Amino acid sequence: MNDALSRFPFPFKKGTYDYYANNSIPLQPPYSIEVTPAYQHEIHLKRRLLNKAHSRCYQSLSHTEEAQWEVVELVLHHLTAAYPKEFLLHKEKDNWTFINQLTGEEERFVFGDAASLPFEPLDFVGRHVQEDLILMMQRDAELFLEAGQLCFPGNWSLVFKLGMTFHEIHEPIPGFFERGAADKIRTFLLHMEAGRPWMRNNWSLTAGNFLDTFPETYHEWGIHRHRVTVDNAGSLIHLRVEVQKLFRLPGTQGILFTIHTHMLPLKQLVRQREWLHRFTQVVTQLPDEIADYKGITPYKQPLFAYLHKQMEGEKEEKNEIRQ
Amino acid sequence: MIHGTPIQTVVKEIEQVTPRVKRFTLAPADGRELPRFSGGAHILTRVGVGEQVWQRPYSLCGDPHIRAVYQIAIRLQKNSLGGSVFWHHQVRKGQKVTISWPQNHFPMSHRARHHVFFAAGIGITPFLPMMADAEERGETFELHYAAPTREQCAFYDEIQSRYKGCCRFYFSQEGKRMRPDVMKDQSVGTHVYFCGPAAMVEAYRKAAISYGYPQKSIHYELFIPPAVEDAKPFEVELRHSGKTLQVPAEKTLLEVLLNSGVEVPFACRMGRCGTCAVGVAAGEVKHRDVILSDEEKKTKIVSCVSRSTSTKLVLDF
Repeated sequence: MNDALSRFPFPFKKGTYDYYANNSIPLQPPYSIEVTPAYQHEIHLKRRLLNKAHSRCYQSLSHTEEAQWEVVELVLHHLTAAYPKEFLLHKEKDNWTFINQLTGEEERFVFGDAASLPFEPLDFVGRHVQEDLILMMQRDAELFLEAGQLCFPGNWSLVFKLGMTFHEIHEPIPGFFERGAADKIRTFLLHMEAGRPWMRNNWSLTAGNFLDTFPETYHEWGIHRHRVTVDNAGSLIHLRVEVQKLFRLPGTQGILFTIHTHMLPLKQLVRQREWLHRFTQVVTQLPDEIADYKGITPYKQPLFAYLHKQMEGEKEEKNEIRQ
Repeated sequence: MIHGTPIQTVVKEIEQVTPRVKRFTLAPADGRELPRFSGGAHILTRVGVGEQVWQRPYSLCGDPHIRAVYQIAIRLQKNSLGGSVFWHHQVRKGQKVTISWPQNHFPMSHRARHHVFFAAGIGITPFLPMMADAEERGETFELHYAAPTREQCAFYDEIQSRYKGCCRFYFSQEGKRMRPDVMKDQSVGTHVYFCGPAAMVEAYRKAAISYGYPQKSIHYELFIPPAVEDAKPFEVELRHSGKTLQVPAEKTLLEVLLNSGVEVPFACRMGRCGTCAVGVAAGEVKHRDVILSDEEKKTKIVSCVSRSTSTKLVLDF
């Protein structure tokens, strides 16, 4: 297995997938971030998107500042603990100096003083990590999305979701309420404790190698959904996996979601025969409403044909060996 | 820089606050900053010698801005199961104490226009950092605090000097009683908070409802009792296959199901995510998860933590 394949968080443990299970497991080691070889490329892309369309990528409500500082503290401590050569943090009381060796930057600021930073605290720290950062606040036993830096959305809009409750955010997911998942997952989140982080995977397919699939730019990337053929499916269609890590912030009781998005073109996926088998099983059994929701319906036929061909090819190979 | 779970601390200071209350100051063993906390938060403490271990939740009563130490105050209970007796008589300066990260099940509401706190006895502890938080944010509050006498009123001087004008004391042996009707004369948007003996909390909660307070404006502390490890073996019948399995005391239901080839989906194995819940057709269940609703508890069991209290459990499998 090459490096990109071995680090890819393939989400299917078997050939079936329960779309309504919680699927969260305790996070070990308990770090909110991961630095991959794509760091430079993705940080560059993130900052370009932030400069080009800031309000699309960053939103916050004014009363989240205290929680944003907690995120700064958590993320910088995780970066320096997990990657001590690449990231350094010096603290003299509230005077902090953060050194990012990968970008060659040194940031000095006064912790707790937003005026000492060039951006809001969450917007600042998000520019040093590959993850999208979403902040939910808990108020009177309800969760609200109140701030976020989102450069690599899986077709959802931060501008639209800002201020919504957990249930309102998840309204579009087919069957999410009827199957009891909405209440169950909300209860789980409300019970989350500081010091006990969790992780879960979410998956989808994307036509084209686009991390930044904003609904606001659908006209740029959505068109590729209609250009898939059996011949180009292997390079055009990507399995998109979001590794989501969840942290309760001990001071403000907010919940931080970090979302690290990984992409793998199918032509690489199919090289792992076990992955090909499980993926094919999951995708061919996909309920119609989920396929619609994930935007797969327009290229379902060429995708199935491509997978069929791969499976057949495997059989032929085996037969050839036998002969 | 970041603490693992749990956190190792040592007792740095012990003060006799009243004849029955001691305040303990805990410092992290490695000298690193402790996690932040907010008013109303508690920690789960673990102390003991050898096989005798006491696990108890205590509210943090120190200032939320201080990251070098945590403070808890413990009253020597008359009917103690041993926890407070151990803390009062056995715990010495320099002793190791294992603690959880701070958890807050009793947070102050962000929607409140005014906070009214009711403390009875040692129930004062969560309100100390709450008042500090409210003062810092410029929010208005009032404290009503009942104790038998002034001598038995923990932190009386501290509260008086810091929050003069915002607090009223009721010393029952001087004939003054704290009454819930203080809640009647409050403006719309007031939130009320109770901490004290269960009977007091219940009486104030009922009174608040009768005065017309919405449920979301009523807050009280409820500690989940520590888990009792009294696992007993039981038998499981799978209704659809007719298969019978034995769950020994040292194994979970989930482990037994998986080992026998029953494909139960699971994730956290801690009774928190609910993935491994299975349907129950017959038998009594002792629920130890924190995810099922009361309605779901009637028909489901979270197989990674919950067990049957009857000798046989029939699963809808």
